[in-house]
Amino acid sequence: MTKLFSTEGMDVVQKDLQQVILRGKGDEQFAQVINKEISLLPPSDNLRVVNNDEFIFAKQSFDQWCLISLKEQSHKDILKLVSIINANEEMLASDYSYGQVYFEITGNNKNYYLNKLTHFDFRPKKFPVLTMAQTLVARIDCSIYHLQDKYVISCNSSFEDYFKDRFLDTISL
Amino acid sequence: MLLINCPYCGERDQSEFSNGGEAHVARPKNPELVSDREWSEYVFIRANPKGIFYERWVHTHGCKKWFNAVRNTSTDEILKIYKLGEEPPTLKDFKNTPKTPSGEPKVGSGNFAVKKL
Amino acid sequence: MSALNNKSPYVIDDQKISFTFDGKKYFGFKGDTIASALLRNNIRLIGRSFKYHRPRGIYTCGIEEPNALVQIPSEYNDPNIRATVKQIYEGMVVESQNRWPSLKNDIGSINNLFSPLFSAGFYYKTFMGPKGFWKKVYEPLIRKTAGLGKPPKKFKSKSIHFYHNVDIVIVGAGLSGLLAAKKLVDTEHDVLLIEQDNFLGGILKNTKKIKTINGQKVNEWLKKTETLIKNSKNINVLKNTTVTTYNFSNHLVALEDKSVGNLQEKNKPELVLHKIRTKHAILANGHIERFISFRNNDLPGVMLAASFEKYIHRYGVIPDNSPVIFTNNSSTFSLVKSLIDLGCKPQAYVDAREKKQIEKKTLDLLDTHNIPAYIKSEIEGCDGKNKVEEVSVRAKKNNITKIKTSMLCVSGGLNPDIHLFTQSRGLIKWDSTQLVFKPNSSFQNTITLGSVSGNFSYKKTSEEVNKKLNFLEETKNLEVKLDINDFEKFNIKELWETKHAKKSLWSKSFADLQNDVTTRDLKQAVLEGFDRIEHLKRFTTNSMGTDQGKISSVNSLGIVSKILKKNISEVGTTIYRPPYTPVSFSAIAGRSTYKFYDPERKTPIHPWHVNNNAVFEDVGQWKRPWYFKKHDGETMYEAVQRESKQVRRTAGILDGTTLGKIEIKGKDALTFMNLVYTNDFSKTKPMSGKYALMLGEDGMVKDDGIVCKINDQHFIATTTTGGAMNVLSHMEEYAQTEWPNLNVYMNSVTEQFATFNISGPKSRIILSRVFSDIDFSNEKFPFMTFNKFNYLETEIRILRASFTGEIGYEVYVPPKYALALWEKIFYYSKDFDLVPYGTETMHLLRAEKGYIIVGQDTDGTVTPIDLNLNWMIGKNKKDFIGKRSLIRSDIVKENRKQLVGILPLNKSENIEEGQHIIESETLSTPIRKPVKMLGHITSSYYSPTLDHCVAMALIKEGRKLIGGKAFVSTPNLKTIPVQIVKPAFVDPKNEKLLS
Repeated sequence: MTKLFSTEGMDVVQKDLQQVILRGKGDEQFAQVINKEISLLPPSDNLRVVNNDEFIFAKQSFDQWCLISLKEQSHKDILKLVSIINANEEMLASDYSYGQVYFEITGNNKNYYLNKLTHFDFRPKKFPVLTMAQTLVARIDCSIYHLQDKYVISCNSSFEDYFKDRFLDTISL
Repeated sequence: MLLINCPYCGERDQSEFSNGGEAHVARPKNPELVSDREWSEYVFIRANPKGIFYERWVHTHGCKKWFNAVRNTSTDEILKIYKLGEEPPTLKDFKNTPKTPSGEPKVGSGNFAVKKL
Repeated sequence: MSALNNKSPYVIDDQKISFTFDGKKYFGFKGDTIASALLRNNIRLIGRSFKYHRPRGIYTCGIEEPNALVQIPSEYNDPNIRATVKQIYEGMVVESQNRWPSLKNDIGSINNLFSPLFSAGFYYKTFMGPKGFWKKVYEPLIRKTAGLGKPPKKFKSKSIHFYHNVDIVIVGAGLSGLLAAKKLVDTEHDVLLIEQDNFLGGILKNTKKIKTINGQKVNEWLKKTETLIKNSKNINVLKNTTVTTYNFSNHLVALEDKSVGNLQEKNKPELVLHKIRTKHAILANGHIERFISFRNNDLPGVMLAASFEKYIHRYGVIPDNSPVIFTNNSSTFSLVKSLIDLGCKPQAYVDAREKKQIEKKTLDLLDTHNIPAYIKSEIEGCDGKNKVEEVSVRAKKNNITKIKTSMLCVSGGLNPDIHLFTQSRGLIKWDSTQLVFKPNSSFQNTITLGSVSGNFSYKKTSEEVNKKLNFLEETKNLEVKLDINDFEKFNIKELWETKHAKKSLWSKSFADLQNDVTTRDLKQAVLEGFDRIEHLKRFTTNSMGTDQGKISSVNSLGIVSKILKKNISEVGTTIYRPPYTPVSFSAIAGRSTYKFYDPERKTPIHPWHVNNNAVFEDVGQWKRPWYFKKHDGETMYEAVQRESKQVRRTAGILDGTTLGKIEIKGKDALTFMNLVYTNDFSKTKPMSGKYALMLGEDGMVKDDGIVCKINDQHFIATTTTGGAMNVLSHMEEYAQTEWPNLNVYMNSVTEQFATFNISGPKSRIILSRVFSDIDFSNEKFPFMTFNKFNYLETEIRILRASFTGEIGYEVYVPPKYALALWEKIFYYSKDFDLVPYGTETMHLLRAEKGYIIVGQDTDGTVTPIDLNLNWMIGKNKKDFIGKRSLIRSDIVKENRKQLVGILPLNKSENIEEGQHIIESETLSTPIRKPVKMLGHITSSYYSPTLDHCVAMALIKEGRKLIGGKAFVSTPNLKTIPVQIVKPAFVDPKNEKLLS
């Protein structure tokens, strides 16, 4: 975890998390396969986020989920999980452990700064807690997870420098 | 800047989407059996009407899912959005008129904003 | 006859500010605009007009200003600043525009002398000949003299964008806007109130037309209301912000000036472009007064009446203590009253109407204070040298009275400001009683309140606000009692222009001030056949200036309707286009400038490339090493030759991370892959890869890559760097829309692996040293096979493949371990001179083998057959995307361009990409007939291995021509004799590749 920026009403911290992208029908069998491995049922409502100490588990669209591990695991363990899931011919698990960067944003003024980077509607009535959204932030494809009192924003790691520079620029201007 | 109601992500700015052209253009089931002309019409020719138009959109900078929309191309109003595979709405569900808000202007009238009393 | 000071709560008169205008120093107060400060100093002459260079002054007190445009030569050097809007700051330097050598003595005023030649359509009719004059004479001259101000030489401005998502936007914080806001305080609606001035109030602060509101003095009411709004939970206010655009749907763009009254700070944004998405838009943006055309209605000293009134109350300056007032409606009553209350007396009051149309309270006021009143009269014109010195009043036909005065206040009517409403595509209609265009029906969720809706009576304000907003939830009726000090009946008389007393080619009444369009121009345009308003506008350039004719365009319509003998509603208006007021390009660009122009993507190896003197090129959004500079003086050519030679001599390594990678899996993955690529993957062995082609439905090559088959249900495909997104979109489109019955999923995994392409005779031994427990021998690791291996706490994949024609491998490693592994490879290859190489060398090496690059040797019009790649098409496949098109008549025809190799006959000659291949050696000079082109060079490089140039080309019927000769044409008409050969130059039998 690295403290990135701190300004009036907003703190941004960068975290190294690991992720797996899951594709499948989301049916009973799908849920069972996953639950067996991580003791967590995949959310069934679209854009719903399930959040505990170990995972963020979100449904990104009708056939896609992302599982983010909040506690660092050995890559071998994650690859094992991926391989177990891939043994099912109607599911695809892709390892996304090291190709994304994650920013945790807290503070009661965070929407003010984010509104300089994206057109996305952050109002609670449009983006409730424990939901997620895929949209553009600073012209980059991002996923935003709305957890209690904070957002976690992730994007491709190739954009890391650009994203951080844009964020810093937004705060300073 | 249209506001498009993605069936999966909700209302989003048009900038997140890409337009996919005319909808319900079926790829011939047996391409080897159709004539060159029929095949070329499938590959190259699309309708471009003024008025009610059935088209496709994809949420490129979001969920990346495709869906259909019915849009009035002369006013840009999106009249209905429906998922792939859903029954497309019929024309009589809409006021099937190609008119722009000012009514059809007379040729050369140059008068688009004022309605004649 | 001169300006006086008045107290205004909006100008801090104990804070003096000094500024210069055309080199002379003046003083104003904090809160003054350039215009109000100049008026305070009795400066009337402010610029020269566009075409005729006539002297011009300050005409209005707002954004609608046509004349008073100045230049501020700071480091931002902004031209065409409206002096009536821009507030002064200490030390501001202001310059007038469009004059030389000075404002008073402008050489351009000679244009006025020749003005009969510069009538409407001048630009279209002149500058026609002689031939050649346009480029050498006219254009440079016009460019030099065109425009008003000078543009900045360098782009230095910083502006930002800000996005809003709200339920209700209220445009304008005047009386109606503030009442609407009050109604919405602490309701569930998210409200944004936007005001263009830096104080709220609108008409409440610009005039004294309202005395009290619900018993409170206006100033007090304003203070209380602003506090109420500020403390509310749901309303945000933007000041100094002008809404410039109303888009579809319910999307507004507004421009905020962040440096009002201050010098622009370097690390603060100059402008903010607000982009607002809303559910409802309430337009309460008021009205703008219009003028009347008469002889010399452009002289400095002619000003709009309501603007004069605004200078008095909003800015605390009385521009002239005894102006003449000319009107055709009742709105000037409050101006007369304001002057009298301040101890001034209008020189005369000229009203075009009959006595019975004029309100009693106006007549009483004039009578009581002995103000000469000319009823049923009009201004014929005004005269003076560079300023108004006397006006001519016409009572009856030729009965003209001259009155000496230095200021003439004109009111020709009030226009509801319908720009935003018509931008929203609402319909307007002509009100023949008030003589205005006003909103008729909305197209979007647009509500109009106040004078913009055509409601000129303050009595009806609260009723209108309540009625139109009651549909919103949680709102209650507002009780508003106003004590009004204004006219009761508008009683406007139609008057667009007055006739000149004497006919003369040089006497002018203006229909558009900024573009110097006279009423005679309008008449001439109609005579020449431009009787449709959109044509007339462009022919005369009427209302095409930066002010968009806000104070004059309706008058022009009135004049034209009289000429055409039509109703003004039949003539119609031209389309009001956004932006409503000028928007700087800086605001439009926002932060997408210089280093933020486009998002940048870097691979995990990027820091190493930087440290090793890589020169980068942009491939899409990626930064890829183009070549590596071994030492400072090395040129690109030298570097590429060195890198290429070294790869074939020992080994080279390329960072291939940017190429797309897609993971495809599902029960029907094999079926899907066979439909999407030309190849037949059913016979492909598991854990092996195939070079694969992807076509569009039109049969043209779309992308290529290597497809690795793990098993029939699981594949990983690579794509070109630039094509990665398109290939994934293409796959998703077909999977979702065409074949949803197939069970298959695809995920992009481009970012999940760094890819190292290592090739060369020593690549095998290098990798054996890095991965000591992997057997890289030809038997155990055949060409185009791949495998997964444990590596530290992770897994890597290695595919034996090469794009260079040497033995090669692609190593796929998760980003976390990538940089360390890259460095490890270099560590273990110390004895072998492993060379890092970039994209240019990669292009050269593959060209030596005759391998194509999609997008370089193909351009969307090339089929696999054209490329000699028939062997990649699965013969037994019934269908795949593009298959049917391959037998279209256009694809099977005889003289299609086909891929061949080109070698110069003279080994010392150099061929360039893009050059044409022709049949004949000599070209006639000059060339009079088109030369038959056989094809063009798609790739060409000097091969360090072969010591001569090798090239690839697409030539008509190329395959038939192999073995023959042709010529390459060069820009200086010299031709190079070449051989047409098979496109394979180095190791054509691939012995090295497969060893």
